[in-house]
Amino acid sequence: MTLNIRRFFPGALLGGYGLLVLGLPLAGLGYALLGSLGMAGPLAAGFTLRYWLALGANAGLLYSALFSSWVALVSVGVSLALALSLVLRAQPTLRRWPLPGLLYVPLLLPALVLAFCLFQLLSGAGWLARLSYGLGWIDSPADFPELVQDGAGLGIILAQVLLTFPFLTLLLQAIYQESRLDELRQLSSTLGASAGQFRWRVAVPLLLRRAAPTLLLSFIATLGAYDVPLLLGRPHPQMLAVFVATRQQFDLRELPMGYLAGFLVALGLLALIGVLIKLTRRHAL
Amino acid sequence: MRSRLLIGLLVLVFGLPFGLLLLLALAQGWHFPRALPPAYSLAALRTLGAADGELLAGLGRSLLLAGTVALLATAGGFGVARAVARSRWSRQWEAASYLPYALPPVLLATLVQPFIIRLHLSGSLGGVLLGLLLVALPFATLLLRSFWSVQAREYEQLARTLGCSVGQAFGRVLLPLAWPLLRTTLFQTFLLAWFDFGLTNVLSVGKVRTLTVQVFSYVGEANTALAAVASLLLVLPPALLLGLNRAALWRRPW
Repeated sequence: MTLNIRRFFPGALLGGYGLLVLGLPLAGLGYALLGSLGMAGPLAAGFTLRYWLALGANAGLLYSALFSSWVALVSVGVSLALALSLVLRAQPTLRRWPLPGLLYVPLLLPALVLAFCLFQLLSGAGWLARLSYGLGWIDSPADFPELVQDGAGLGIILAQVLLTFPFLTLLLQAIYQESRLDELRQLSSTLGASAGQFRWRVAVPLLLRRAAPTLLLSFIATLGAYDVPLLLGRPHPQMLAVFVATRQQFDLRELPMGYLAGFLVALGLLALIGVLIKLTRRHAL
Repeated sequence: MRSRLLIGLLVLVFGLPFGLLLLLALAQGWHFPRALPPAYSLAALRTLGAADGELLAGLGRSLLLAGTVALLATAGGFGVARAVARSRWSRQWEAASYLPYALPPVLLATLVQPFIIRLHLSGSLGGVLLGLLLVALPFATLLLRSFWSVQAREYEQLARTLGCSVGQAFGRVLLPLAWPLLRTTLFQTFLLAWFDFGLTNVLSVGKVRTLTVQVFSYVGEANTALAAVASLLLVLPPALLLGLNRAALWRRPW
């Protein structure tokens, strides 16, 4: 029996790839499930539903999920509104120097660095507070409104908007040009449609439909953000990734709960990515 | 007028972080309520040249890690994308490649950490490299999947018909054709690893001090000057890439 190297090599490559990309995360997921049932991990002492039942009494994960959803919804919503208004209302400016180049600038900033900058800018002793003091608006850092490490996650939302809206603007502008929306605008105007009707009945549905997979992915990415909320968030409520990571890193007794949280969050995000794949395929058709 | 106002506003918003970082890196004794530093010093920048320069070591570590991830992910992704394109289960493989995106890097890191510990890779450069490849390889595969169309196969077959060996068809036909996409993938996977903090911090348990880990650590120590210098160093390679190829910074596989 001879080994067909041409068939064996791609098969072995895909096998290795599957092991890394599917095997390792799924094994991790299985380990987290076993850990939450007391069957794996350093505190494993046999099957127990204690941690799952404790979930009902401890609303930390639920708060965390709600807080993350709020931050992700508002961040992506505001970013989308800004990007849409730029693409639909500032077309000539978007095509002229320096705006196309300018929109790439925030893509240079790692999320952690942007969070650090916003902290230096918006905290009680930050640069804006100092300007306010100089203008006589406040008497001490405590008088400055809480814009970072606040309960509503304003600082996190601002950072996520700054990171997301330039990217969405570039994406929507590319779709606008590929879809020849300028020509469609002229056509709809010839047929008697007003500028507003073109925007709301032609341009916005088309742009949203084609950008839907990326929008959902941006939502998922914000939902699982870690760097920004770690610097600009509060210990309570925490965003999901911070909630899971802190429970698995610092207190061994919280490890099973950390496994459970990690398992549930991963499962929820996997369901969302399933929707994303369906959207991508529908768009491809 | 409205257009100038818009551009002015965006220049202000996007420029402010860079200006602030520069001020923080050069400021001396800059405390509340001063709006501008009372004195300027190059002391924080000089730490870069110090013999035991932790910052310079961090820069080297980040460059090594991101460069290795970019090379391995792009080369591996090119091969895997070809195998995926020619597989009977092409769509299923593509769907599987989205899995690492479903999970935030830090969550992925916490999930695979028990296995990284068993492989004795926890807290090592190898463990972080494996973790980053877990995200970068499927990213590169999805990005490069579009290259392996029927057209690419036909070009390959044509080259073989005209007398090229497998190696020649690959090196002289397919590679030059794929180069623009390969270059974009190299840039993107480099940036993916360069910008990462969560996954590196969890898998290295703080031991592999890349530049992002150092920024976080300096912020924690309230050493704003060094945090600003490390941040400026982090911005440098993406700025160079922006100069070289703008599109390479934002192209996505979906």
